[in-house]
Amino acid sequence: MDTTVLVIGGGWNGIKVSFELACAGYRIVLIESGTSIGGQAPYDHLASTSKQELSILLDRVKEDEGIEVLVSTRPVSLTGVPGDFHIRLEQHGQILEKATGAVVVALEAERVSMAEAYRLSPGENVLNQSQFEHVLASTKERGLPGGDGSKDVLFLVGLQQEGSPLVMERAMRSALEIQASEGCQATVLVGNVKLAEDGLESLYKQSREKGVLYFKLKGFPRIRQNGSNLRVGFFDGVLHGDVELTPDLLVVEEAIRPHPEIRDLARVLGVDTDAEGFFQADNVHYLPVRSNREGIYVMGPARRPCNLSHGWTDAQNAVLAVCHLLREGKRLVPKEKAKIHRGKCTICLTCFRVCPHGAIHWDNRAVISSAACQGCGICAGECPMDAIQLVDYRDDQMEAQILASTEKGVDGPQIIAFCCQNSAYEAGQMARLFGSSLPEGLQIIKVPCAGKVDVEYILTAFEAGADGVLVLACHKDNCKSQQGNTFAEWRVEDAGRMLEEIGMEKERLHFATIASNMSVEFVRITREMEDKLKELGPNRIKKQAAG
Amino acid sequence: MNQSSEENSQTQTPKKVLVIGGGIAGLTAAWELTRLNLDVELVERSSFLGGHAIQFCCKAADECQKCGACSVEKRLLEVIQEPRIKVCLRSELKGMNRNSRFSYTLSRQPLHIDPKKCTNCGLCFEKCPAPGAIFRGYSKNNVPLYAINEGKCLYFRDRSCTLCQDLCSEKAIDLDQEQGQISDEADAIVVASGFQAFDPVDKPRYGYGINKNLITALDLERMLREQGDVVRPSDNKAPKKIAFIQCVGSRDHKLGHGFCSQVCCAYAMRMAEAIRHRHPETKVSIFYMDIQNCGKNFSKFYKRCKDSIRFVRFMPGDIFQGDQDQLILFYGDEKDGHAVREPFDLVVLSVGIMPGSSNAGLADMLKLDLDEHGFFSFADPLDSTSTSQPGIFLAGTAQGPKDIADSMAQAGQAARRVGQYLGICFGNSTTY
Ligand SMILES: Cc1cc2nc3c(=O)[nH]c(=O)nc-3n(C[C@H](O)[C@H](O)[C@H](O)COP(=O)(O)OP(=O)(O)OC[C@H]3O[C@@H](n4cnc5c(N)ncnc54)[C@H](O)[C@@H]3O)c2cc1C
Ligand code: SF4
Ligand code: SF4
Repeated sequence: MDTTVLVIGGGWNGIKVSFELACAGYRIVLIESGTSIGGQAPYDHLASTSKQELSILLDRVKEDEGIEVLVSTRPVSLTGVPGDFHIRLEQHGQILEKATGAVVVALEAERVSMAEAYRLSPGENVLNQSQFEHVLASTKERGLPGGDGSKDVLFLVGLQQEGSPLVMERAMRSALEIQASEGCQATVLVGNVKLAEDGLESLYKQSREKGVLYFKLKGFPRIRQNGSNLRVGFFDGVLHGDVELTPDLLVVEEAIRPHPEIRDLARVLGVDTDAEGFFQADNVHYLPVRSNREGIYVMGPARRPCNLSHGWTDAQNAVLAVCHLLREGKRLVPKEKAKIHRGKCTICLTCFRVCPHGAIHWDNRAVISSAACQGCGICAGECPMDAIQLVDYRDDQMEAQILASTEKGVDGPQIIAFCCQNSAYEAGQMARLFGSSLPEGLQIIKVPCAGKVDVEYILTAFEAGADGVLVLACHKDNCKSQQGNTFAEWRVEDAGRMLEEIGMEKERLHFATIASNMSVEFVRITREMEDKLKELGPNRIKKQAAG
Repeated sequence: MNQSSEENSQTQTPKKVLVIGGGIAGLTAAWELTRLNLDVELVERSSFLGGHAIQFCCKAADECQKCGACSVEKRLLEVIQEPRIKVCLRSELKGMNRNSRFSYTLSRQPLHIDPKKCTNCGLCFEKCPAPGAIFRGYSKNNVPLYAINEGKCLYFRDRSCTLCQDLCSEKAIDLDQEQGQISDEADAIVVASGFQAFDPVDKPRYGYGINKNLITALDLERMLREQGDVVRPSDNKAPKKIAFIQCVGSRDHKLGHGFCSQVCCAYAMRMAEAIRHRHPETKVSIFYMDIQNCGKNFSKFYKRCKDSIRFVRFMPGDIFQGDQDQLILFYGDEKDGHAVREPFDLVVLSVGIMPGSSNAGLADMLKLDLDEHGFFSFADPLDSTSTSQPGIFLAGTAQGPKDIADSMAQAGQAARRVGQYLGICFGNSTTY
């Protein structure tokens, strides 16, 4: 096992996590596609002590012998398994090869001016937030741009995007600063004042006390830009009337967008992004810093817009994750969770395509990495040759369990419920423990993920005499293996069609989703099934067998 | 910086950390600390682990809405299965002395139910004649699952009943168990004592406690979790019109609460969506000042909510009693400002996150500072777990309002900082 860690992104988050990982005893390769590390100032407002902290940090990272910094460098490909990845990097047209135990992605976010979205052409009297901050910092003494009359400054925030506390804080701070200048008036037109961050409500209050005006708009204002002439009109919900302003200067908000390299990088690393293009699928199981692949962690603004303090919280969590994965570099061989039967495998690539954790790689044949495999069994369920078996949930074991669960005679309908261990199984246990009244004929069969439930299991259950079968999975977006629930639902649909073909009511088979903490839902779903089965009467296959 | 990792090699007795508070922050800190080869003493004041968040419902509609409630369930299971975490329920810190380590004293209220003997059969809970004297934890992962409320138990009133003790075949109940004290030492401390939800009695205009159909969001969380559905407390019928009032206790400068609770917009929208998923005909209105973000891709989520929920930018003042146990809200119309009077079947107060009741006492014992609002204040602006005391770190809402995900992340950070403070270093420093 390799105890080098590759850190991608030489902004303040990448620098921090490199430093912390080095403190924890790992060797670091820190790569940055730009020409230097720590080049850009952090997005958020920093105390002067924090600014000092940053420069000390940068020096220490540059001096540390355990940290190799590679600028103008991009990753090209990644192979191998957690603990032993091989990464190919490109630097000035040259390919470098590195071995690394884990990867931490710490790219910064991008700030994009929204002037265009506001249909404004940037100019002397239309600046974006960054430009305005720059002006504030550099021309304090000389006064504001736009000549002598430039005293009314209007900020536009959260009208063309939802915005965030990050964007809000910057506008509020600039407004406060302007308001403090002799004869200046700062006004903020805003959608929702985003204050869900420590200290922002106080800042908001302070700015209003100092005279900054806030108008909360429900729609988009009418903006007319005619050379140096600016007119902004809107309906005000407090005054209940139209207001027209003629500011000397407009300051337009910026959007915080995913780093432009994320798309390519996601492909190279084989990890998921969200709908906005940030890293990490929108799934609570991955929080804070996990990706869908073991050994690859995503942090800070690489996974969502955030300030430096939150980014550094992620950095510490990434260190924990790396420590847990790599330890001292001599980890015990991880337990094997899934096995491929070489004789049965026809090299169809199905498993390789479906594994949500990138745990299957290709080495003339399909190979499962024990370190990366999460044991969900999606591959086993999808393999057309039944060549894959989970060690703890072999098909023969499952079959035996299904057969055993229909042996006992019960009064009511026999229901077999295949329950994902992460959700339905827990909810079922809770219902039992709380003494809820569950159907008498209910048999719970635990599966590692609903994605393990084979069409075969469902059919076996009916053949064995079950009157009804439930497949209970995690809610959409809550599957630890991302799509296990979707696979399960498809298989239930397939099995349902097969049942219909042999003349069985498809209502006997039901797919539902549930969370681990909802025992009442478990009771409801199983009882509804029982009621339905009472109406339908016993399973005909069973009747035939009995007769 | 790559010092030898030998000082923490497994052959030495592992170092120990005291974690104060067993909510999601304390649970996560404890769990992460054990993964750094540290032992943990986890102290919880109440009878159950899990804090507020273990009481929350799943808010999934068509799909998971990422409220994080199920993560708490999972973390609790991991904690109770981890032998390196010693749990002390019904216990509180009474004193702390700093020598080379931290020597501390805990006072321990009797549990009366022996977790080692109890089989969770529930007989005591079922048979107890005094309402509320035996109560159950919210999660199956609470050990023991039941607890005795001395304030309601007949034995503690006049010794007239020992039914549960007599019935329990495992002899797990001991009503005479006495309160105790534990003195021990730790190498570091994590303060994760959480928050208290705003008590709307402190805002008498709403008349909380008078009309049954005026509930808090915490009441609603518990109702959805325990009953799986929403009903009007007055008649147990499904409410057709529900109003949420946001910022109850938060962003309220009159009360001195100059902070946003950061979670109420999120839970209100998610619960409203969950309710509408079950009952699409139910009309939900949210009265608000500003809607705050949550989670990933918030603008899409908010847009979806706006399609099904009515958002009214107005904070209603007094709440009046209407006919048929309805509640009347008055608010200004957003277009022309004229007063609107509207009845609702159920009004939910989105109560905020207030500083914990034990903050002052803990701050005093541990020599920590509180901020202007009464949360623990952090020393380094770029590290919200830091305190003025080396070896003591903060996690979760003890430090300030935040959601489950952020509490967990901060707890991870605190664990890592403890590891750093205790010189824990894993990497294979001998290779170079
Ligand atoms: C109505 C409501 C709904 C919410 N819904 C959501 C949601 O859907 N999603 C979400 O992410 N967040 C939600 N939140 C926020 C969520 O509750 C918090 O983020 C989370 O509970 C914080 O966990 P914690 O561990 O910091 O605090 P707590 O949950 O308060 O836990 C602290 C624990 O410490 C114990 N304790 C206190 N003092 C002491 C002491 N002196 N000694 C020993 N133990 C002590 C307490 O008994 C408690 O068990 C909601 C909040 C509210 C009010
Ligand atoms: S069991 Fe799941 S994680 Fe393991 S190889 Fe198969 S699909 Fe991948
Ligand atoms: S809505 Fe909340 S409790 Fe339900 S599955 Fe999603 S995160 Fe878990």
